[in-house]
Amino acid sequence: MGSSSSSMDHIPNAEELMQETGFSAAHLLRLYERFEFLDKDQTGELRPEDFGAIGGLALNPIGDRIISAFFSPGQETVDFPSFVRVLAHFRPNGTNRTRNGTQQEPVNSRTRKLKFAFQLYDQDRDGKISRAELLQVLRAMLGIQVTEEQLQSIAERAIQEADLDRDDAISFDEFKKVQQVSPHPQTPTKETPLHPTEGGR
Amino acid sequence: MPSRTCSHSPSGFGKSLPEQGLLLLVVLVLLEGSVLPLGAASSPDVSHQDDSHNHKVADHGVNATKKVFPVLDVDYHHIQTPFEISLWVLLASLMKLGFHLIPRLSSIVPESCLLIVVGLLVGGLIKLAGEQVPPVLDSRLFFLCLLPPIILDAGYFLPIRPFMENVGTILMFAVVGTVWNAFFVGGLLYAVCQIQPANPSSLHSIELLHCLLFGSIISAVDPVAVLAVFEEIHINELLHILVFGESLLNDAVTVVLYHLFVEYAGVGTVTVMDGFLGVISFLVVALGGVLVGAIYGILAAFTSRFTSHTRVIEPLFVFVYSYMAYLSAEMFHLSGIMALIACGAVMRPYVEANISHKSHTTIKYFLKMWSSVSETLIFIFLGVATVDGPHSWNWTFVTVTVILCLVARVIGVVGLTYIINKFRIVKLTTKDQFIVAYGGLRGAIAFSLGFLLDQNQFAHRKMFLTAIITVIFFTVFVQGMTIKPLVELLAVKKKQEAKRSINEEIHTQFLDHLLTGIEDICGHYGHHHWKDKLNRFNKKYVKKCLIAGERSKEPQLIAFYHKMEMKQAIELVESGGGVKLPSAVPSTVSMQNIQPKKPPPAKAAERALPQLPKGREEEIRKILRSNLQRTRQRLRSYNRHTLVADPYEDGFSDLLIKKQKMIELEKKIKEMNNYLTVPAAPPDSPTMCRARLASDPQAYSMKPVSDSVPVIQVDLASPQSPDSVNVMDEFRRANQEEDQGLMMKPPQGSSGSNKPGEADTTRDQQRLMRCLSDPGPSADEDEDEPFLP
Repeated sequence: MGSSSSSMDHIPNAEELMQETGFSAAHLLRLYERFEFLDKDQTGELRPEDFGAIGGLALNPIGDRIISAFFSPGQETVDFPSFVRVLAHFRPNGTNRTRNGTQQEPVNSRTRKLKFAFQLYDQDRDGKISRAELLQVLRAMLGIQVTEEQLQSIAERAIQEADLDRDDAISFDEFKKVQQVSPHPQTPTKETPLHPTEGGR
Repeated sequence: MPSRTCSHSPSGFGKSLPEQGLLLLVVLVLLEGSVLPLGAASSPDVSHQDDSHNHKVADHGVNATKKVFPVLDVDYHHIQTPFEISLWVLLASLMKLGFHLIPRLSSIVPESCLLIVVGLLVGGLIKLAGEQVPPVLDSRLFFLCLLPPIILDAGYFLPIRPFMENVGTILMFAVVGTVWNAFFVGGLLYAVCQIQPANPSSLHSIELLHCLLFGSIISAVDPVAVLAVFEEIHINELLHILVFGESLLNDAVTVVLYHLFVEYAGVGTVTVMDGFLGVISFLVVALGGVLVGAIYGILAAFTSRFTSHTRVIEPLFVFVYSYMAYLSAEMFHLSGIMALIACGAVMRPYVEANISHKSHTTIKYFLKMWSSVSETLIFIFLGVATVDGPHSWNWTFVTVTVILCLVARVIGVVGLTYIINKFRIVKLTTKDQFIVAYGGLRGAIAFSLGFLLDQNQFAHRKMFLTAIITVIFFTVFVQGMTIKPLVELLAVKKKQEAKRSINEEIHTQFLDHLLTGIEDICGHYGHHHWKDKLNRFNKKYVKKCLIAGERSKEPQLIAFYHKMEMKQAIELVESGGGVKLPSAVPSTVSMQNIQPKKPPPAKAAERALPQLPKGREEEIRKILRSNLQRTRQRLRSYNRHTLVADPYEDGFSDLLIKKQKMIELEKKIKEMNNYLTVPAAPPDSPTMCRARLASDPQAYSMKPVSDSVPVIQVDLASPQSPDSVNVMDEFRRANQEEDQGLMMKPPQGSSGSNKPGEADTTRDQQRLMRCLSDPGPSADEDEDEPFLP
């Protein structure tokens, strides 16, 4: 992999990033290499088209949402620190290396992970998943072979189950509560695509 | 043939029903115990009998003396074998019944222990009667008849998702753990047997390979025992699937080790080459078994695609294909258990999409029934075989075996967990490790394998069998009984009985997509990436082949949603005759007739039937009662006096019309009824917990659904069937006047707030009818929510 120290010099603010996100040096290096691979025209920043070039994402029903999650509202490009910060949400829970006193809560805590997922549903960032937003997600996931009424009834039922304050939308707290009902292994806490010993590209 | 009957009079009749039941069972057991030796005794006489009979006939032909025509004749050996089999099955089932009559006992002692005790009793009785105990745990009977139903039941209903997520851990425990156990126990036993050189005992003659063989027999965790015990303790899904998965997958290892050592025990040495071949053999056995199972599973799925016209034999295909998969695998000495699991798991999603709901229920209940009876029989037979089996007790050997098994298991689990935790995201805690180690129960498979050993080749077979039985007893009794209090003591997370909600399902799928996307961004081909690829392949090619018609395109979420809606509909029908309804519409019912939705029904004003003050209700009820009486009179006889205009009657003429319509609708609906499921026992008993699956409604109350209560039957045989449309049409016609949205309840044919009086009277009338026929509605069943919010 080359001597990490010299490659690490390429990464701006590596130490800070590691502190903030909890990634190890090896992790960070791998991410940097991936970043550079995606950055076809070597500008040091990623654009939506660069993400779109990834084959698997094009087939993914919520691919465009994931891509837009990397871009803060108004921004058109993503630099490496932002890239890493978003991916830091998916670090496994158990390996929090450093915890500054200033941080209230590590980036990859369960709440932050759920918040990230919540924001993918809630595109207009109003803090609630409205019926329309839920319908959009369902439509994206279920494709064209489902009728409108079926979608409506599923969305209706989902909102009824989760919506405790009867405002016809799912707030973040209600969202959290639904996920806690059953200890389903597939919560965001389970994911780490970044284990250094696992396969590469 | 002297007929022996045991006459027993139970001393002192118990006053309470459970005790009487128990006494009855004891009597039955004793009777059966007496008949069995009768049967056993008659078997050697059969051929002798026939000869003498022939002679008699020949004699008679010669002498032509007239014999009295036998009016009543006993010919036991004509039906002997099936009769005995049935008797055993009956005994097993009655025992099961009996244990649940004594609730306290079944909560302290796991069923498996009680059954072994019963087996001991029956075996003891047979021995006391001086008869030959039938070789009940004969390996052929066990492996070909008793084991497959249990494994098929486990495989068909295997929760695929947790299994696949933990498959690495499970395989580690199953393969590496079992091999470790086998060698540790075998090796140390040999070492122990070799010590005490000053005092040569029979133990010295044991060879290393024999010990290793014994170790491999005793080290496999037994799925039957695990199932039986874990069923009752309700631990969380992760631990359950870990221990249970291990018990299923270690079959391949056991088969290979067993055959390896049996082969080479005669020769006396095992070379490295043999070891290498053993490893290859393991791969062949395991993967071959899975392949055979998968092939049969696909065949079954494909066959079920065409069964839409012969729904009655659909369950048969599932059973026969699975059994053939098992037999085929056994033919090639592959792992039959893995074949069965693979077959069930592969065929299930496709078969369930193709078969009717009733077939699904049939499959479920048949599997549960057979596996339940099998399990009971296995434990009873264990008891009987213990009494009978050739024993040779050797203190050293047996105690060392028991201790070594425990120690090996603990060390194995701890060591493996240490390694596994490096790769796992959700780590296994110490508590988890303890439960996994403690849950390693041995069972009848070990005994059968030991029984298979050839006495001539293995001089110490009897000692082996004794030791195996002791270990089995120890694990089942001691560990089985204490695991429940230990689980409580350690506060291990229990299984959460929460229903799967649609939110969870949506979010699970959403997360899958999300994580796949993130993996793609990072360029990491992990778990999700491959799962996604598999799903895509499945959707594109496989589903089209194996699922009939339209449903091949149905996304998983929709299927799940349908299932949930059906479940709710079933629940409603079961629990109160359809007064309370799901608040959303199942897509199987034609949706074209549904009016646009209204805002959520939480506000009381939305209800189409507003509440009435108490006084008015009473009044209405009184009027209603008297009116009903009047109707009866009028219909029965022509009475000049009632021709006078009745002031009460005018206001309620339309009520009567509606009542007539109600009755007609009721009749029509009854004609097209499709009752959906069998009412279930109270949900808490362990057997019922087994019988009840994730797809079953959780709360069943045993309310009788009387005929006078209009019930809703939804035809679930196929989506959008003409029946369901008809029902909706009926309602539409009944609701011609009202526009208040559609009500699925025929008696509430009128819904609107235009006629609050009548609507309420019909409701009261219905309530009255129900009061007369039902034990009483529950509090919240009185709310009449409109069908659509």
